[in-house]
Amino acid sequence: MAQAIAQSTLTSPLFTVLNPQGRPTGVFEPLSMAPRLDTLEGKTVYLVDVGFAGGYEFLEELRAWFSRNMPAVKTLLHRKKGNMFLDDPELWAQVKDKGHAVIFGVGG
Amino acid sequence: MNLRFSFTPYPVVGMSRAVLQRYIEGNDPISGKPLVPELIEALTKPLTEREMKPERAGRPVPVRLLEPNTEENLRRLFLESGWTDGLPIILPTNERVAEMLTGTSHDPDEVVGRMTITTTQEKIEYTVEKVAVNAVMAGARPEHFPVILAIASAQEPAFPSSTTSFARMVVVNGPIRDEIAMNSGVGALSPFNLANSVIGRAWTLMTVNLADSRLGETFMGSLGHNLNYNNMCCAENEEKSVWEPFHVQKGFRADESVVSFFRGWSVINSMGAANSVRPASEETVIMLKAFAGLRSAATLVMDPLVAKGLKDQGFKTKQELSRWLSEHVEVPAGQYWGADIIYSLVAPLARQGIEPYASWSKLPKDKLIAPYHDPNQINIVIVGGETNPLWLTTDFLYTQSVSVDKWRPKGGIRRDARPLRMPVGATCSDGTCGLG
Repeated sequence: MAQAIAQSTLTSPLFTVLNPQGRPTGVFEPLSMAPRLDTLEGKTVYLVDVGFAGGYEFLEELRAWFSRNMPAVKTLLHRKKGNMFLDDPELWAQVKDKGHAVIFGVGG
Repeated sequence: MNLRFSFTPYPVVGMSRAVLQRYIEGNDPISGKPLVPELIEALTKPLTEREMKPERAGRPVPVRLLEPNTEENLRRLFLESGWTDGLPIILPTNERVAEMLTGTSHDPDEVVGRMTITTTQEKIEYTVEKVAVNAVMAGARPEHFPVILAIASAQEPAFPSSTTSFARMVVVNGPIRDEIAMNSGVGALSPFNLANSVIGRAWTLMTVNLADSRLGETFMGSLGHNLNYNNMCCAENEEKSVWEPFHVQKGFRADESVVSFFRGWSVINSMGAANSVRPASEETVIMLKAFAGLRSAATLVMDPLVAKGLKDQGFKTKQELSRWLSEHVEVPAGQYWGADIIYSLVAPLARQGIEPYASWSKLPKDKLIAPYHDPNQINIVIVGGETNPLWLTTDFLYTQSVSVDKWRPKGGIRRDARPLRMPVGATCSDGTCGLG
């Protein structure tokens, strides 16, 4: 059977066809990540819910964990403005100004 | 993406506080490491050289022509590369693509648009020729090409990446329906008509190949949606409708050819409704209560007989019916806010003080609200062949309409020397047949 298929392939005509895929636009330039901290002790960590259901509740529990286990870490819990697909430049500016680190929570 | 990720078990939504605490005390299911220490490490472990100086991420531009091969091997290549909908395709040879391009006067290299099924990945750009390649694969003919180009020009994928598995509908209005023999009558949404079938399929294949759809990578619909094979592609039955054509409602001339797009998840057939006991309007109220009412959106796909009955009841226009439904569908506030999609997309609006959501969010759970508060978002399309007065109630949001006519060939839609005749359902000359 396999031999018959191989023989068939050898004798079949060849076709040239067009590639159906579109052209990647490559518009995203990668950014360097922000410098890391030596420690979280005494630092302010923003916990930001981006808007998918359940994310805020999860971050509330994460905040409680920090309170119980690492009380020297100050956590600030925020919801991003608008839904999960919208930008929130004001919050990003606030995080840069007043925070040392940020953890984004993506629920769902 | 140049970020440090950690993962919790899934899902998060709807989990009790005890479960969320277990997630936090437990391990990242991907890395197997304890979750919170991993988060702390992500914030404190020094950056690698690559994280500090990431390389520009770019994918190669696909070659225009594939290496010559046998039909069997090319079919295998298309399937294994994820370039199909899983069904056999017509191989897009040079000759077939050139033939498809006779269906428009536009240059093959003209950029038609950019799209992606995600909201964060780079968009994919496509030309008239790329659309033609996918149209050939779908089994389309040159006369279908203007409608397919119009769909491509809308730059809307047929299935977004969403884990929620969207359904889509595309509806054609205007003279081109007859010019390319689309079906708007008996079985318009069934698999009989070439134009309905291949145009809907072409949208799917364009989404696969021109919108960066990769299963499990960019497409994450957990269940997926069977409607994505054809996207409910049909034409409105303008001739049998007692109301204004859909595209005219949206500001187009009656003699323009137009495609309109809809997006949602759910379709209910009125077969279970007691239309003889309660009017279709009241049955629709019952059915609409089953949906979340996101963005006030609903679309009714209605047999002409139903529209006639409703007009006899006093709904002189589609808009009058939409307004009545908007006022009469009421659900408890607790039911509305309990829907995940409302929690995710509408609760942020309420927190921003946007009405009526801000006021609704303050109501007791048992207080009734009218989630379809904007009658302009309740759309009605007339489709079907008057063999039964039934209708589909959907949660579909109308997204846009675009003109087909700019994509026509200068010489007009080409007709075969021997016209292709598709089976047509029985029609009724005086409009009174069926069960109505």
